[in-house]
Amino acid sequence: MDYLSDLWATNRSTVAFAMVNSLFALSTYVVLAAGFLSFSTVVFAAVGGFVGAQLVVKGVGLPFVFGAAAGGGLLISLLVAAVFLRLNSHWMALASLALVLITRVVTLNAPALTGGVNGLGVPLALPMDWLTGVLVLTVLAFYALHHSWFGVASRVLREDPSVAACMGVDLRQIQLIAFGISGIVGGIGGAAYAMLLQFISPDTFFLGIAFTMIAATVLGGSYHWFGPVVGAVVYTALPIVMQAFLPHLLQEVANGVVLLLIMIFLPRGLIDPRAVRLRRAAPAAAGVMKIRA
Amino acid sequence: MELFASQLLNGLALGSLCGLFGIGFGLVFATLGILNAAQGCYASWAAIIGLAAAEKMGAPFPLIMLAGMGGAAAVAVAVDQLGFQPLRTRGADMLGALITSIAFWMILDSLAGFATGQQSLSFPSTSYPGQMLLTEPVPLPAMQLITIAVLVAVAVGMHLLMTRSSVGSAIRAVGWNPVAAALGGVNSRSIILLTAALSGAISGLAGTLGGVLTSNVSFTLGQGLLLKGFAAVVVGGYSDVRGTAIAGVILGILEVFVGQYISTALRDAFTYSLLLVFLLVKPQGLFGKGSLVRA
Amino acid sequence: MTLRLTKPLLRLTAALVPLLGATAASALDAGTYKIGFIADRTGVVAFAGVSYARGAELAVEQINATGAMGKDTKLEIVEREGGSDAAKSIQGYNQLVADRNVIATSCCIFSGIAGALKPIAIANKVPLVFYGATMPGLPTLPYAYNVTGLPGPQEVALSKHLVEVLKPKTVAYFVLSDNDAFQARFKASQAVFEAAGGKTVGVVTALGADTDFTAQATQVIALKPDLIMVYVTQIPASSFIAAVRQRGWTGRMATNEAVSPIAVFKKIGPALAGVPFSVNFSADLTESEAGKAFVKSYKQKFGSDPDVYAGQGFTAIQLIAQGLKSLPGKPTREQLAEAMAKFDTIQNDIYGGVTLINGQVESKKNLFVNWSPDGKIVPWKP
Repeated sequence: MDYLSDLWATNRSTVAFAMVNSLFALSTYVVLAAGFLSFSTVVFAAVGGFVGAQLVVKGVGLPFVFGAAAGGGLLISLLVAAVFLRLNSHWMALASLALVLITRVVTLNAPALTGGVNGLGVPLALPMDWLTGVLVLTVLAFYALHHSWFGVASRVLREDPSVAACMGVDLRQIQLIAFGISGIVGGIGGAAYAMLLQFISPDTFFLGIAFTMIAATVLGGSYHWFGPVVGAVVYTALPIVMQAFLPHLLQEVANGVVLLLIMIFLPRGLIDPRAVRLRRAAPAAAGVMKIRA
Repeated sequence: MELFASQLLNGLALGSLCGLFGIGFGLVFATLGILNAAQGCYASWAAIIGLAAAEKMGAPFPLIMLAGMGGAAAVAVAVDQLGFQPLRTRGADMLGALITSIAFWMILDSLAGFATGQQSLSFPSTSYPGQMLLTEPVPLPAMQLITIAVLVAVAVGMHLLMTRSSVGSAIRAVGWNPVAAALGGVNSRSIILLTAALSGAISGLAGTLGGVLTSNVSFTLGQGLLLKGFAAVVVGGYSDVRGTAIAGVILGILEVFVGQYISTALRDAFTYSLLLVFLLVKPQGLFGKGSLVRA
Repeated sequence: MTLRLTKPLLRLTAALVPLLGATAASALDAGTYKIGFIADRTGVVAFAGVSYARGAELAVEQINATGAMGKDTKLEIVEREGGSDAAKSIQGYNQLVADRNVIATSCCIFSGIAGALKPIAIANKVPLVFYGATMPGLPTLPYAYNVTGLPGPQEVALSKHLVEVLKPKTVAYFVLSDNDAFQARFKASQAVFEAAGGKTVGVVTALGADTDFTAQATQVIALKPDLIMVYVTQIPASSFIAAVRQRGWTGRMATNEAVSPIAVFKKIGPALAGVPFSVNFSADLTESEAGKAFVKSYKQKFGSDPDVYAGQGFTAIQLIAQGLKSLPGKPTREQLAEAMAKFDTIQNDIYGGVTLINGQVESKKNLFVNWSPDGKIVPWKP
């Protein structure tokens, strides 16, 4: 029993970070699935994180903290969508990256809301059951979405916009909904992250986390909602596993090499519905698909 | 007045570095369709290799620059062939390339840390023209003038290469549509290699100059250039060398003047807000003529 | 098994031969005591992180070699790399704390990461000694301690000294706007100068990630102040001072201990000479026996003089060892924490006169020093 409880104590925070990273990856995924590479989840997370932290400091209960963080994330995501959806996908990537840079400047210069340069202590450790509950609910929502009209429409849209148009799919509507969902999930993730770190500052929501989110999403596979969850778990656990085998000097290099190898051999990510379909299909059909790809 | 002139020169030199780095960054983005997170590492490694040439071999300044450029070009080609080429041959989208570039960013930055002993180093003062051409009425450091001249030369050279030469048309053709370019008789493999090397060399040039100019040779050098070069590419338009060069210079001057005359605290807010405004109002960049982007 | 058999015998010998400095009647049980250490050997502050970790490494080696803890009692560092990243540090720290053999911990350069690890230490009732973070209010007895001097006292001392010696009428400041510690230092210093009639003629700022400081150098020189105070980290400080001197400014400048490592002098050279700063430890100037011994063995092991950061890493381990040594039998983490809370000095004190007040180390001594043109830290003479 001691062994088990020690094992849990050793890895509890890694599990928690994997769960929060799953939320971030899902938030990134839903926009990516609608055809946009966007780093704006960082911005939604920052809003959720600072709103959540302020409410925790005031002693507000967890349901309201998460509710407000989700609301804040939604609000900012719709704002971002309204402005950014005019851009094509390449520019969206650059614009959202610029937005991440601006977010840090804003958080630094708004000390009343964010604690400015000194950061903000969060006097509450996120209970594990809460985090688990939030993630399970989010995953269930994504499962439902995947099979809903929205899920089908956004998949068609990503594969072939003209077919989607023929089906009567409203491009703007799908994209706006995708951003809204991304905002809600990103905001919740931000609040959870704040309570996990128990201390947030302008550097918390910056480039490091931006690239973590994208890498986790693409690594896991951006063609199915389960991909980002797997990607976040692998991406979070990888450095911890490396630490057990390698001297600290080589860890970062090894992390990069593993990431590189996964992407080279599985460029569509670890979870790839097409690969599953291909494996099920007859070899001849697989050949045809390959030529088309 | 002296202050104004002096700061203008500082802004021009800083902006030239950003513009120079941005030209390399934009070339990969426009031609190969890759948002390359590892581009900053090329600059850091160029400075490290240049420093090694200066310290180990006592190379003269032009050779130091060449060593830096050559080293960065080699790193860029290696990254392309190891990290991007496997994805191209599998016909995967370039989203995967962003992730492999992040992987190389981790690897190269970490190795750069070891190469400099986790310290920030600087070039020995005898290895570059560190003198002041004037001190009165305005200090005129030789290195700042050299940096500005290098940007002008590279920008003009690259613009002519891209618009007037057959190599340039081939690069643009590959950027537009690799399959069509191949059908048109372009050897896209060698064009990709050339583009990667060129991009690495230009960013490496920015890195070596930056290492000398700011007395900082470490992995932080590339990270700083990456953010500022990125801004230059966005404002200038990534498919246009002139735009990137001019945008870099404007951003550099703006940064310095906002710091001098308005508020240093708001300096970055200004730069990045300008970035957003440009993205929204003129997303094709300064010289943009409609979208040149593949879906 | 042999360990268990020899234990009673050891306890007997320990009781018969009183150990130097041991205050308890019966000594610590023999065995290996693990100290969890979050290192920053990589990442943006690795230039200091390596030194902190080396200082700690040396402390443990010295204690084990001299048998200071008892004949068969050893210390061992269990290191996890934090890489200046909050999430990575928290995960590593949880791993360390989960190891039941880890009796005490040490961590952190960044205040944000220190602030994140402190609640974990308190929840797990394990002593945590901060070796590099400078946020006020970090120490919380009996669990959290800080061996790094708070921003403020050093700046105030140097500023007062500069007021006395130079009597500046106008002062300009170069400060990092996104670094809490340097903001605090700057404000403490500014208050001293203004109280003494030193008018603030300008506050020029930069961001931590900036690499070009020519504009700031030009801006500060144009203010023509009697004195320029530089409150930034190592890379900006060295680049800024070099740029200011290159532009022909021969006036007064003063800075902080960020420029004290030899690497900074190697980089900037004579331009750094004559710029005063305040530091509480310098290998060239240390007078205490402990300090001299530390410099000698550090040089032997790592081939270079220890810098101010190495001294702090060394002291962090000394504080933990001192706590352990004062306890009999097989202490728990909580007992160790309680023991450490009783101290008001550090025995193996390389600074020569530090006090421990509410878990915060304070140095009575402030050396006003500068680099000589040939690369030695020497007392500053105006």
